[in-house]
Amino acid sequence: MSAAYAYARPQERRNVQPRHIEIVTTRAQRRARPKAFYAVLAVSAVFALFLAQLMLSIVVSDGAYQISSLQAQQNQLSRTEQGLAEQLDLLASPQSLAQRAESLGMVVGTSSPAFLRLSDGALVGTPVASTGTAGALGADGGLVANSLLVPGSEAEISPTTSETGGAPAQNAAAGSVASSDGALPSPTTR
Amino acid sequence: MNSSRNTRSRLAAAVLALLAVVLLFSFRLVDIQVVRAAELNEQSLGKRSVAVPTYGVRGNITDTNGVLLASSVDRYDITASPKVMYALADPSNTKPIDYVAQIEDLAAATGETVEAITASLSANPDSDFAYVHKLGTLEVLEAVKALKIPWVYSEVHPSRTYPNGAVAGNLIGFIGTDGPQMGMELDYDSCLASTNGSSTYEKSKDGVRLPGSTVTAKEPVDGGTLKLTIETDLQWYAQEQVAAQAIAVGAEWGTGMVVRVSDGHIMAAVDYPSVDPNDVNGVPNTALGSLAFSTPYEPGSVFKPITAAMAIDQGLATATTQVIAPGRIYFPNGQYIKDVWAHNDIHLTLAGVLMNSSNTGISKFTDMMSQQTRYDYFKAFGIGTKTGVGLYESAGSLPKTSDWDQITNLTIGFGQGVSATSAQLASVYQTLANNGVKKPLTLVEGCTMPDGTVTDLPDTTSTQVVSEYAADQTVAAMETIVTKGPLSRQLTIPGYRIAAKTATAEVAENGVYGDERIVAIAGMIPAENPQYVVIVTLGKPDIMKTSAAAAVPFKNIMTQVIKTFRIEPSATPAPDMPVTW
Repeated sequence: MSAAYAYARPQERRNVQPRHIEIVTTRAQRRARPKAFYAVLAVSAVFALFLAQLMLSIVVSDGAYQISSLQAQQNQLSRTEQGLAEQLDLLASPQSLAQRAESLGMVVGTSSPAFLRLSDGALVGTPVASTGTAGALGADGGLVANSLLVPGSEAEISPTTSETGGAPAQNAAAGSVASSDGALPSPTTR
Repeated sequence: MNSSRNTRSRLAAAVLALLAVVLLFSFRLVDIQVVRAAELNEQSLGKRSVAVPTYGVRGNITDTNGVLLASSVDRYDITASPKVMYALADPSNTKPIDYVAQIEDLAAATGETVEAITASLSANPDSDFAYVHKLGTLEVLEAVKALKIPWVYSEVHPSRTYPNGAVAGNLIGFIGTDGPQMGMELDYDSCLASTNGSSTYEKSKDGVRLPGSTVTAKEPVDGGTLKLTIETDLQWYAQEQVAAQAIAVGAEWGTGMVVRVSDGHIMAAVDYPSVDPNDVNGVPNTALGSLAFSTPYEPGSVFKPITAAMAIDQGLATATTQVIAPGRIYFPNGQYIKDVWAHNDIHLTLAGVLMNSSNTGISKFTDMMSQQTRYDYFKAFGIGTKTGVGLYESAGSLPKTSDWDQITNLTIGFGQGVSATSAQLASVYQTLANNGVKKPLTLVEGCTMPDGTVTDLPDTTSTQVVSEYAADQTVAAMETIVTKGPLSRQLTIPGYRIAAKTATAEVAENGVYGDERIVAIAGMIPAENPQYVVIVTLGKPDIMKTSAAAAVPFKNIMTQVIKTFRIEPSATPAPDMPVTW
């Protein structure tokens, strides 16, 4: 049945002037059509996200390495600081100071204490020159032990002394002279 | 028909298979996520996580100015793996190591001997752990690290150091292998002690800490800082002085104390022999603590001012009250007491009794008061009671009045038949110097915890033991010892008024007083308004058995006290107080 009908159609077509028909999309339809731009945008956004994520984790783990190395550095520095502070405390110990002071020829004044009052420059007490033998340390270099002051260690290196073995140098007096009796001995400044 | 049935049964089979798979997976899921979750987590963590002990730091001990007396430092134990060492040295390796040379390098870096290191390493060749060097300093650690020996490792070992050595060593104590021993380290461990914490983090394959993986299980807690009342430089100087004189006169032991009058704070408390807490090996046990606190002795004449003060406080005497001191006071049983020097009846004032240190003279004042009265005064001055400072201190002994026989009844008045520590005597002189007001002897200013809270604050209770008048009269009487006494020349510091009392106490051994003496001088400066008390005691000197032996360190320490605390010279000279009549 259908075959017979199909046979007749071409006949008709041949006679009828064929009309060119085209579907015209409305503006709304055109607008609703998916755009490649968005697809590209979406896909690249996803890729950007992945990339950002990747970068972020690279930065984070790089940060971890940085933290790790900085922590190691901090450790090292605080160790060094501790070591230096230890050395400083040792150098500041009375034993070390007394030894250094006496090697410079200084003595402990045991005769008569006297003070110079800074507020009015008054001399309080009767100053008496200390005797040369008034060192606080005995011949054996002190009776209060400090086993940390190992001879030869850095804390023990004696300060530069004059060749006379620690006796006050003669020319040292020139630097600081009392201008008159009882007055402040002051260095000559220029 | 046929084909549709086929389809259905295929579908059913597929569904069943799917169900079976889902069931299997869910079973596995539950098994992993729930049943064995803990065990598996542990296994995986064990591979990645690293547990690190975090050390709390033991608190420091400082002096009154913040100078470190004891501080915590990191030391490093150098360790090694003998197993790894022998494996690396295996001749079949492409590049076997020469461990003999490496051990020599290690010995040079650590200061150990090659033999010691070899012995430690070869003790157990299969072990992964052996000590090469314990408690090395940072320099040792760096020297060892520079060697880059693959089988050598290091561990942090928190340790303790005492930068000022033996200065106040007898007070500070030390840390032994079992923790704090002796001294403040032990007495105030609750302040100083720290608590270690723990934390874990996860590491990557190359050992780097994974970000955000640190889990702190327990925070470490640092110890508090203990502040003592000690003045380090003065303490050192006093220690030098006492030690030098103890050696010079052949004394068995010596003590010295400097106490601030206004609040009883101990500026210096020294002992001879002294101990360096950095190295206590070989120090006899008796020298580890503080003799000034732990060892009571019959103090002798330094007790006389107590008797004088109580007589004045009772209204029975003044500094110029006149008595006749006989050469000897006899008892019905034939025993007697006498003075150090032979004399007939002499006319002395109370000041003169103190100046001449007359036993018979002070006994005249003792006789003015009942036993109970005197006992109560001694008790109030702190005799027979611990000062509360600590340091294994002794209370000394003040016999009950019922135990006083007729001799003891008088001898206690001049310090025989009774015993006290140097610390207790320092406290007595603080009371006399402070207008009769006793302040508790104090060695600790406080403990500051890391969060800023301050504990262990000193007790500031004041006790009026004798009246201001009695205390001042006694001090004025004691000043005659320095201005007119036999040791006047040795004790005088030009420009300063000093009150002091000397003592040459007999030492009872096996119940009999023998040749041994304990000599002491206790005093205060400036006499018109005392600010500091100094007491020096030398035990059993061989060469000089009189109080003159203590004069040198006493005067030198006094001078140093003047310089340290900037005491201005006295404005007026000492009044001329009659000592005879």
